[in-house]
Amino acid sequence: MSDVLVEVKNLKKYFGGKKSLFNRHPDTVKAVDNVSFEIYKGETLGIVGESGCGKSTTGKMIMNLLEPTEGSVVFQGKDLTELTGQKGRAARQKFQMIFQDPYASLNPRMTVRQLLTEPFKIHGIEKKNERAKVNKLLELVGLNAYHADRYPHEFSGGQRQRIVIARALALNPDLIVADEPVSALDVSIQSQILNLMKKLQRELGLTYLFIAHDLSVVEHISDRVGVMYLGNMVELTDKKSLYREPLHPYTQALLSAVPVADPTVKKQRVILKGDLPSPSDPPTGCVFHTRCPFAMTQCKQNKPVLQDIRGDQHFVACHLYNGSAESEAKLKKQIL
Amino acid sequence: MAEKVLDVVDLETHFISDGKVVKAVDGVSFHLYKGETLGIVGESGSGKSVTSLSVMQLLRNTPGKIVGGTIQFGTLDIAHASDKQMRKIRGNQISMIFQEPMTSLNPVYKIGRQLTEGIILHKNVSKKEATQRAQQMLEKVGIPRAKQILNEYPHQLSGGMRQRVMIAMAMACDPEILIADEPTTALDVTIQAQILELMNELRETSQTSILMITHDLGVVAEMCDRVVVMYAGQIVEEAPIEALFAQPKHPYTQGLLASIPKLGEEVEELTSISGTVPTPETMPSGCRFEPRCPYAMARCKEQNPVLKADEDGRVYRCWLQEEGSHE
Amino acid sequence: MTTIQENKVAATQPASPWREFWKKFKRQKLAFASAIFIVLLFIVALIGPWIAPFDYTKADYSQILQGPNDKHWLGTDAFGRDILSRILVGTRTTLLVGLSAVLAGAIIGTILGLLSGYYGKWIDSLIMRFCDVLLAFPGILLAIGIIAILGPGMINVVVAVGIFTIPMFARIVRSNTLVYKNSLYVEATRSLGAANLYIIFRHILPASFSSIIVYFTMRLGTAILTAASLSFLGLGAQPPSPEWGAMLSAGRDYLTTAPYITYFPGLAIMLTVLAFNLLGDGLRDALDPKVKD
Repeated sequence: MSDVLVEVKNLKKYFGGKKSLFNRHPDTVKAVDNVSFEIYKGETLGIVGESGCGKSTTGKMIMNLLEPTEGSVVFQGKDLTELTGQKGRAARQKFQMIFQDPYASLNPRMTVRQLLTEPFKIHGIEKKNERAKVNKLLELVGLNAYHADRYPHEFSGGQRQRIVIARALALNPDLIVADEPVSALDVSIQSQILNLMKKLQRELGLTYLFIAHDLSVVEHISDRVGVMYLGNMVELTDKKSLYREPLHPYTQALLSAVPVADPTVKKQRVILKGDLPSPSDPPTGCVFHTRCPFAMTQCKQNKPVLQDIRGDQHFVACHLYNGSAESEAKLKKQIL
Repeated sequence: MAEKVLDVVDLETHFISDGKVVKAVDGVSFHLYKGETLGIVGESGSGKSVTSLSVMQLLRNTPGKIVGGTIQFGTLDIAHASDKQMRKIRGNQISMIFQEPMTSLNPVYKIGRQLTEGIILHKNVSKKEATQRAQQMLEKVGIPRAKQILNEYPHQLSGGMRQRVMIAMAMACDPEILIADEPTTALDVTIQAQILELMNELRETSQTSILMITHDLGVVAEMCDRVVVMYAGQIVEEAPIEALFAQPKHPYTQGLLASIPKLGEEVEELTSISGTVPTPETMPSGCRFEPRCPYAMARCKEQNPVLKADEDGRVYRCWLQEEGSHE
Repeated sequence: MTTIQENKVAATQPASPWREFWKKFKRQKLAFASAIFIVLLFIVALIGPWIAPFDYTKADYSQILQGPNDKHWLGTDAFGRDILSRILVGTRTTLLVGLSAVLAGAIIGTILGLLSGYYGKWIDSLIMRFCDVLLAFPGILLAIGIIAILGPGMINVVVAVGIFTIPMFARIVRSNTLVYKNSLYVEATRSLGAANLYIIFRHILPASFSSIIVYFTMRLGTAILTAASLSFLGLGAQPPSPEWGAMLSAGRDYLTTAPYITYFPGLAIMLTVLAFNLLGDGLRDALDPKVKD
């Protein structure tokens, strides 16, 4: 697992901010603000966060669907953000994406066969054995060969998501960016798709970047998990450490907010005050300080850096762990 | 908990389009006690939302129609009530909050006007009194700057704030029943936690009965006293909350509980219910869950079991009841 | 994980978009009748000269200005030419002018609309301002202006009518493009690595086809009417030609003495335009997803 497949460096995406005749001081929305991480070969890296945290924007920048304002996405020694046109397309063959809404992500005018062969057509791959390839793909995702000549509207949500996955597999990708792939599905179908994704990962050695808001789904599927808040990565570590010992106050609040499907458990809940600040006017210093129960004076002034505080690959961006007297005192209180 | 505020018996709601009849709700019976929270759980197509819309008589402008059964609310049978009678009840004695607060608030009117409208209509008070009441309600649901918010438009509020406004609006006339149709599904987890806490507080202070319609078993576990599980237009199990989670009886409920990944629990593969919910065209003639049921027997294909209590008093719809226990 | 349930769903009749369309279209009685009428028109346009009972150019001075009778069903004109024969033969000119004008306008308009909607920015501004300018003139006035520059004649009528058809198509296709450009399946295709032109022609254009076809049909009626008007004004087909508008023009002088000379070509124009409009309405109801369900 030590091989790095993709390295994301200082990725930024600012929207708007263009001066015009009527708006001389436009708001810049910092959707993603300086995010860096690595995706290891064969792992599932989960990214969780609430709406507007920039997790989908990050995924789209990796897929080159959005042009980053700054930063790079390095794959096989090349910075993908610099490749355009034909080269960019060729490089992107190895990255595929699965979307949230299986109803909208398939062209309703195309049959399943057309949808599944489209990747070959786009990349100019020759047509021989197309029928066999389609059958193989359908079989991989648990559908049948005779499904190939039907239209998307004849399938249920779960089956459509299988088609979407089959399509993503057509070009033998290395990385699949899955943006909320199960959140539009019913609970009983969710587990089918999650199991399918795990099975495919085992069989085909896939790497996933799994973007979702559902913490339990992310815990189930991921090896490592990153938590995003307002365009920033606030915590990143392996699944076990994150869920057993969340360090960032936001992660702690997020985890405690998840309703537990067990009426006998009465959780001690950290209810966050207020709402998400507007990303066009983010707080100074640490972006979480306006809602943080442990906010200190320095949190308003300095932005904490994502760092490995104990040398065990548990990255967190929080001043509580900088060793100052004030933060030590706060930490003690937190434990009590 | 003895007083029933709502008693639904054999409710049948059908949708008719292109000459085809879809039995969205097919013989559903349940009741709601004063001050309790009853959860109706089900996946899409289970008929849970149509059930709630039937209780509000909100199917008039849809192809849906209540074709059988009764919905007893006090002395009135809602299933056979006139529009005029319903107008008196809606928003006054029974109110509803929806999944997407933005679509149920009118974007062109200020919050204050939308809140006072209902109060003036049902409580017969002056505009000034209504405004006061509206402000109180906003404060009660934890909205800061309540006075200013009255003069703002829905789009100026965040999703969580809008849902608070919806709750304030729904609770403004002290309803006996609050129907909450997926009230937190569109919200983020941290905001969801705030709203659920608020609903629990309000219930304790106002003694309003809540009908909670949701697909999220976590929300059910935290909010409800009793649960009704629906599948393909019918109730398949009804149980007190602890019993349902400790020992689900119907194979569907079992599958549903097993298929949600739980925080802090590590499993390689999730248990899943195979197949999909039947469409009207593929509706089985016997037990509706039979094609997906791991315990399906020959009898299940032929006859749909009835919903009844077993010797332990657990209510569910399954032939296994007669075969003895199954685990 | 494939189950019986999934197989059951799949075992039903495959419903292609075509079948759906046909099912919906058949229900529109008026549009269906119009479609049959239009098919007949096209047949007449093809075989008109062969089924015409008389030579449409041959003057017969013994038979001038006759009312409808059993020999000349629709009467004769001032030169004694059989009106029925002239209408039958003129169908070809009328349809050809309408079709080629709208086709040219539709193709250019569609391409401009696709480029405008997909690429946006300055391309969009440029194309849309050009369309605004064209749309600022009343259609017929614009056509007259163009013919004033190019000179009269059938080809120039086609050009004129074609040009004023462009902006309408450009706008419709542009608004469609804006919608589909941001649809999830287009983004999904882009994530597969598809190039812009591929997306435009394989996904956005087919998605806009239904609107284009509906508008094309309706526009045909207008184009035929405009072409006839231009001919009536003497700017299009010249007198000996049996173009319907030109026939109207020629019969104008006898309106009080022999009204049937103008009645029947006028009726032909009206029925044709009406049929295309009704067909367009029917197609819209059958194709437009907003009307669906």
